[in-house]
Amino acid sequence: MGYSPSKTLPYRVELYRQLKRKRTAIAYLFVVSLPVLVAIAVKFGPSGNSGGPTRLGSGTTDLIGLATIGASNFTVTMLYFATPFLLVTVIALFNGDTVASEASWSTLRYLLASPVPRARLLLQKIKVSLSLSVLAVLIMPISSWVVGAIAFGTKPLQSPLGATFTNPVAISRIAIITIYIAISLMFIAGLAFYLSVRTDAPLGAVGVAVAISILLSILDTITALGKIRDWLPVHYAFSWFDALATTIDYSVMIRGGSYCFIAGTILYALAINRFAHKDVTS
Amino acid sequence: MKIRTISALAVIVASIISPSVVKADEKVSEIIETAPGISIDTSQYLPKKLPAPAILIAHGFGGSKDSVESDAKFFASKGFVVMTWSARGFGESTGQIEMNSIDSEVADTRALITYLSKSKNVLLDGEGDPRVGIMGSSYGGANALLTASHDLRIDAVISDISWSDLEQGLFPQSVERSLASGPFKKVWAGTFFSAVTLQSAYLGECGAFAQRWCDAYQNAVLQGKPSPTDKKLLESVSPIKYASSISAPTLLSQGQADSLFPLSESYKLAQELKKNKTKNPLSMIWHADGHDGSNAQAPYLREQFLLWFQKHLFEREIEFPIFQFTRSNGSISLQDSTVIPKVFTSENLPFENEPKQLQLVTPTAAMIYPIGGVPSAISALPGIGSAGALASQLLSNLAGFSPAFLPGQSGLLESAPLTEPISIVGPSSIKVRITSTEPDATLFFSLVTKTPSGAINLPNGIVAPVRITNISDGGTDVVVNLPATILDASIGDVIAVGISSTDQGYETPKTSRFYSVSPLSPLTYQTSIATAAQSSSANYLWPLGAFASVILAAIFVRLRRPKIAPAKETSDALVSVENLSKTYKDGHRAVADLSFEVQRGQVVGLLGPNGAGKTTALRMIMGLIFPTKGSIYLNGESVYPGSPALSNIGCFIEGPGFLPHLSGRENLRLYWRSIGRDGEQHLDQVVAITKLGTALDKKVRTYSQGMRQRLAIAQSMLGMPDLLVLDEPTNGLDPQQIAEMRQVLKNYASTGRTVVISSHLLAEIQQTCSHVVLMHRGELIAFGPMEDLLSKNRRSQSLEEIFLELIGDDLVIGQEN
Repeated sequence: MGYSPSKTLPYRVELYRQLKRKRTAIAYLFVVSLPVLVAIAVKFGPSGNSGGPTRLGSGTTDLIGLATIGASNFTVTMLYFATPFLLVTVIALFNGDTVASEASWSTLRYLLASPVPRARLLLQKIKVSLSLSVLAVLIMPISSWVVGAIAFGTKPLQSPLGATFTNPVAISRIAIITIYIAISLMFIAGLAFYLSVRTDAPLGAVGVAVAISILLSILDTITALGKIRDWLPVHYAFSWFDALATTIDYSVMIRGGSYCFIAGTILYALAINRFAHKDVTS
Repeated sequence: MKIRTISALAVIVASIISPSVVKADEKVSEIIETAPGISIDTSQYLPKKLPAPAILIAHGFGGSKDSVESDAKFFASKGFVVMTWSARGFGESTGQIEMNSIDSEVADTRALITYLSKSKNVLLDGEGDPRVGIMGSSYGGANALLTASHDLRIDAVISDISWSDLEQGLFPQSVERSLASGPFKKVWAGTFFSAVTLQSAYLGECGAFAQRWCDAYQNAVLQGKPSPTDKKLLESVSPIKYASSISAPTLLSQGQADSLFPLSESYKLAQELKKNKTKNPLSMIWHADGHDGSNAQAPYLREQFLLWFQKHLFEREIEFPIFQFTRSNGSISLQDSTVIPKVFTSENLPFENEPKQLQLVTPTAAMIYPIGGVPSAISALPGIGSAGALASQLLSNLAGFSPAFLPGQSGLLESAPLTEPISIVGPSSIKVRITSTEPDATLFFSLVTKTPSGAINLPNGIVAPVRITNISDGGTDVVVNLPATILDASIGDVIAVGISSTDQGYETPKTSRFYSVSPLSPLTYQTSIATAAQSSSANYLWPLGAFASVILAAIFVRLRRPKIAPAKETSDALVSVENLSKTYKDGHRAVADLSFEVQRGQVVGLLGPNGAGKTTALRMIMGLIFPTKGSIYLNGESVYPGSPALSNIGCFIEGPGFLPHLSGRENLRLYWRSIGRDGEQHLDQVVAITKLGTALDKKVRTYSQGMRQRLAIAQSMLGMPDLLVLDEPTNGLDPQQIAEMRQVLKNYASTGRTVVISSHLLAEIQQTCSHVVLMHRGELIAFGPMEDLLSKNRRSQSLEEIFLELIGDDLVIGQEN
């Protein structure tokens, strides 16, 4: 019989296997519904509509306070809200669950024995879970912008740094921010995937990845740690703020994005190495 | 001298008592007589390693040597001998305040340098020439600059928020090339004068001030302008006058939140220094602090000052930027998303860049000056200026109202809404025609941005006062130097020259009048090609690192992948297991030295009780776990995880595994598409075996154990592989299903294919298998055709009894484990 390793577990098959899961749909539902819920809360909430622009926060110069100016501002604020927890959790879910769930269903050993070469199995898994992750990161600003445009109109983006951007510029800035967020989440993706290879409990891998992310975020708030914080990947979660300045200073974004990417790559490599030598007993 | 002897003795005593505690970093206080009757109270801070370069730290107005103690300790800890002192008229020092007169305060500092040159602790450049730097803030900064201009022994100088032209500081005049003094900066001057006189009120109304300075102040308050004598006096203590004499590397630091000595002070001095000594190292810092502001950037500045001294006193190779400036709204805090300052660096001083121009569209701004100047605009307030500026900014943001621009008393000369962002760093200028209904005019110019919503932003409330006299009927044309500022305007914003007729901080005319101001030229402004500090080469190194990490990761994974045993020409056996062993990490030996062969067309039973190592052996055959020892060949091809040889095997191992959220049919379909084989799938035949009927289209989640079992065995037969490996296939099936399964397997083998079944139900195997591999405790105890095994044992025809007999001989092995 003609067998070809490069035909095993095709991208489309793996994508179909993952897309048919309720878990995937629920994750996307969360991403889509966050801006809707926030917009409804602001629009019809108790403090809303007392004349003048409604403000989410108390400040007039901070990101949250500017949320209701227009679609672009709303999008930027939603990205600020979503990055540290919602997107981290969704990315951890897509990457942390993918191998561990196969192990828990016992399908992993049938794929490996069929045989899908181990490195190929992981690479196909990585491709699909990263695609799903990128989609989630893309949906966030798009749904936010659409919801924001309906709720607050399409006024220009007002940056907390004093700059105002017309819509085409604002959208290009949001695109830069989205790309940066996608790259900086590589660390969480790699971490969750590594844990996914180490365990047979899907939610364990996801939970531990999110917990590590939270732990690192807490460490990052401790200013006494000084320079050490520069080496925490989560330190760069909000470096995209630099894209809100009149002229963008890319240096921190480049450093942060590259660092998260490198950390993610190392974790992916460790995961593949680990899996290649693992006794699959589940 | 006495004090010094005593503390030196104390040091000696201390080091004798506990020699391990060597306190080289010691503070020594001493009174030094610098001139007859002038006793200067000094402190010396010593570093651990001596001799070392020295740093003189001069204190600010109203302070004493104690107010710079933390700086002194910092620099001493970095390896410098630090000397601080209370200036004349301050702290414990005697004498009168002469505002850094060359003959008084500057002479004192020079005497201290001479004193240091005789100290064994200080590194010498030559006889009587110590390696010494000098720094100070405000009053102390002027002392540093003036001493550096009169004493060639100084090797590095740093001045922070100080004046370079004291007349300009107190009577600011922003008309270009005007010799007339500007309006008196009465609030600031009064604040300073009273700060000292109240401290030393027992000395009379002048306090510790020298008489000529006290007279000058009183004259300024009464006249609103300096007399020619006062002008000379102010000039005599202005570093800019002596700029050509400064030959030490100079670092000029100035604050943006400073309405007393604004950025223009350092700008003009830097221009003057550059003009005279082009090769002398000169750097400039424009930070966000200042007399009006906080000292939030103190740690950053201290770090920069340290670098400057390390570079020029220790002669270390340090890249020090020519120009650093802080954008107070430079970035957003990563912690709480509030706006925070950010430092930018440039290789050019602002005046070294090509000026740019911006057309203003407002033809004329007209305004009234009320009698007595009340109400008065508030641009900045001494001391609380930053709070005032903040309040003003908030008000303007909220209501489009700014206290710096009162209605009717102010006007804006606006540009058209910008089509591209503009970043202004440095002073701007504009030529205007000013008319007045009186012969004179006092106006306050500023540079502001106006957002599309009307909010006016006047950075730090800094204004440029203008005072002109002898205005003709048609008005007078003047070039106004607008405040040096750091200002960013984005698309849609308007840049405007703000003009106010009143300002609370200044002396203004008594009589009322009308003014008009019309622009005669575009606005000329300066900008800076700057990068964020500390970004440098990392911009391309990091992406390169990221790229390299992918390649290195690929190499790592490739190098570390498991070794593959070579293929082997064997007999025509389909499966050949040789000396296979598996010891788990916990030391459990699951399979030991197992060898057997399976020929085509056989139905081989792998038999043994639970824990005999059957499943472990099958897992190794399927490439799921790594053997500790031994090898497996399929058709002569070596078997390892993922080896292509496995593609000829269908397997059912340790229970079924399906995606629970998909139907049985979809599971079979996706499995087939996942395993990379082409050829006939034989789906119908296989589906018939499952006997699932319509349940095949229900989700696997809803299946019973038996249904899953049958689906899994069907899955293993997809594509009709040459070899079928089934691990305990009859578990969970009822007797009828077991009988059916037996038939299915016999049929499968009858087509020339091979089946390997493991089971602990020996009776069951006896009815199905042609060959037997008998295992116990990981070891092979018997292997061969079923008939041979049965015929060897005449006493019994039951496999079970034979097995029990065989292991009876093998108990030793059991004990070993």
